[in-house]
Amino acid sequence: MRRTVLKSLLATAILSATAGLPAARAADKEIVIGGSIPMSGVFAFAGIGIHAGIQDYVKMVNAAGGIAGHTLRYVPEDSAYKVDQSVAAFKKITSQNKVNFYYGDSTAFSKTINPELDRAGSMIMSGASFATELNDPKKYPYQFVAGPDYTQQFGILLRYIAQQKPGAKVAFVHSDTEFGRDPIETSRGVAKALGLDVAIEIMTPPGAVDVSTEIAKLRRARPDFTIFHGYILGPIPEFIGQARQMGLDTQFMGTFWTMDNSTVMQMGELAEGFMGVMPYNYYYDQSAPAPMLDKIRAMRPEYQNVPYIQGFLSAMLYAESARRTLAAGKEMSAANLKAALNSIENFDTGGLIGVPVTLRGNTIPVGRIYRADTKARRMVPASDWIVLE
Amino acid sequence: MRIGTARSSYRHDEALFDSRTQHAWLAILAVALIGFPFLADEYWLYLACLVAINIASTTGLNILTGYTGLVSLGQAAFMGIGAYTVAALEQKLGAPVLLNLLAGGFVAMLGGLVVGLPSLRVKGLYLAIATIAASVVLHFVFANWHAVTGGHAGITLVPAEILGLSFDTSFRLYWLFVPITILMVAGAANLFRTRIGRAFIAIRDRDISAEVLGIPLLRYKLLSFGLSSFYAGVAGGMWAYFFRVVTPESFPLILSIFFLAAVIVGGMGTILGAILGAVFMTMVPEALKLVVGWLPLSADATLILSPVRTIVFGVLIVGFLVFEPLGLQEIWRRIRRFFHLWPFRA
Repeated sequence: MRRTVLKSLLATAILSATAGLPAARAADKEIVIGGSIPMSGVFAFAGIGIHAGIQDYVKMVNAAGGIAGHTLRYVPEDSAYKVDQSVAAFKKITSQNKVNFYYGDSTAFSKTINPELDRAGSMIMSGASFATELNDPKKYPYQFVAGPDYTQQFGILLRYIAQQKPGAKVAFVHSDTEFGRDPIETSRGVAKALGLDVAIEIMTPPGAVDVSTEIAKLRRARPDFTIFHGYILGPIPEFIGQARQMGLDTQFMGTFWTMDNSTVMQMGELAEGFMGVMPYNYYYDQSAPAPMLDKIRAMRPEYQNVPYIQGFLSAMLYAESARRTLAAGKEMSAANLKAALNSIENFDTGGLIGVPVTLRGNTIPVGRIYRADTKARRMVPASDWIVLE
Repeated sequence: MRIGTARSSYRHDEALFDSRTQHAWLAILAVALIGFPFLADEYWLYLACLVAINIASTTGLNILTGYTGLVSLGQAAFMGIGAYTVAALEQKLGAPVLLNLLAGGFVAMLGGLVVGLPSLRVKGLYLAIATIAASVVLHFVFANWHAVTGGHAGITLVPAEILGLSFDTSFRLYWLFVPITILMVAGAANLFRTRIGRAFIAIRDRDISAEVLGIPLLRYKLLSFGLSSFYAGVAGGMWAYFFRVVTPESFPLILSIFFLAAVIVGGMGTILGAILGAVFMTMVPEALKLVVGWLPLSADATLILSPVRTIVFGVLIVGFLVFEPLGLQEIWRRIRRFFHLWPFRA
């Protein structure tokens, strides 16, 4: 037994040692998309979708002949949603490939890797983070967000609320994390500017179960609308369940990471009427012509979650940036790729987003309000597309 | 007693490494450590730096848990103190790197002395819970003391700089972190040849007997906490210079469990155990990724194998605990013992 263990260890050591040899790749006619993708760990539900989305778009482009004679190559590594492993994946992929685009898995990773991106000057990055901080082209010149940042998501919700009920009372319920606190401070000002009254702000531990004290506070404040942020699901069902028992009449709303169809439907009957902001069309949406969604449905007949759409759109924006850079006869440097990305105006995403999109700063400030229909088990549109200026 | 190590002088008797074979291997190790950065790519250098940081912190925890017998789940929080101290000093004062790292160690040491106070009353699982409570308190401080810690957004650092040389790549950081870690490990190895280190071991083996022998428990338990936290603080400082972003979420409880697992898997109460444990815990997930990467599989299969890899990592840890409860260092000792008598007995 001991000898077997020793042999296994020796084999692992030899394998590990030889792995440092750089992989010989034909890099001349390739556009490489690297990715620290959370395929395992707490964020795997999103990572698996993101991975599939990028993979499918790359396949689609290559099947159509690539981009100006270049093929796309996608090089993912599992990050397990841990910063040290995400950075390790980045170092591994970038040291063995000439990477042009990179997908990061978290806000912490985006912040950590930013100096490396600036230093390398050869690639641009987007990722799973919608952090407001990333929407600063001076501080994060080579990053972008494939959608609205969290403050803009709140802005879209608040604009909708102001249209529906001018002067409404609003409650912000958020987790005590960087993610949860992200849009709160700036959104107070946005609400005030729209003539809304932020009646109460409640902060809870992420995933808190006992919310009875918070519900009592919410009941006293009697908000017309309650916006959750900084959670995936828990403690939203607990809030809604207890609020309904107490007869609290408030419209509950959520932001991107809560708004996947499968996540909302996990709430069961409590989901009925739940609303929120979503920057993309859902997989099943057929209310308007959407050739790209048709292709996705043809490739994958089963439901694909919103992280899939986000990954797919990210890859589409990488490809468009590369296409514009190559068409201008420029070198594929980070500065040129980002400039090409910033030149995107009224871009047709093939129905992934219901309106033509324009990149402003580092984000695409667009979204639509959806409402949960538990009988149909689907999120259905409750507003038109809202574009922030 | 090994062949050819008859000690003929007090100097020889006191030496940390006493045989020619050991000296030869040390020389080979030194050459390997010096040559490695020139041969390895950025990925392997990154991992080498990460391993160096983790060895420093695991060695610190080994002083406390492995040698003194005080179980702590606060190592990550102490690393956090060190990281924030370094980040704040760097950002606000622009103080020299080595001074920042020392300050990080000392501030973490002060934190360790406070957190160590309950160890006089409780031990075992009770002490572990007390250290978890301290971690929660420290996390709250990191998240809410905005003036110093920058709140939830944390602090972003500029690269470490010594004599105008910016340590902005893993290659350069390697030359900073590896010598510091070697110094710390050598310090720990020597500690257990002194009165203080032997007092720690006596407390671990039976604290009441140790007190009867004249070892003041208050002083030595707090000293053990302080030293352990100092190591964590310096490791946290290196971590801050390495990742250059420090947030409250950088040092979660799971990281403390990681270090405790490294101490146990490597072998509690041995210097080599802490090193091997830190290397194992850091490198095995990456090695498993490499193995999966070499298999002729599609990208979809990689996706399926990701959770399998996590399971294999868990099974490996459990396997070591069951089949080699004395840890990786025991395997190493057996290999050495085999060669001590080689070729006379195999």
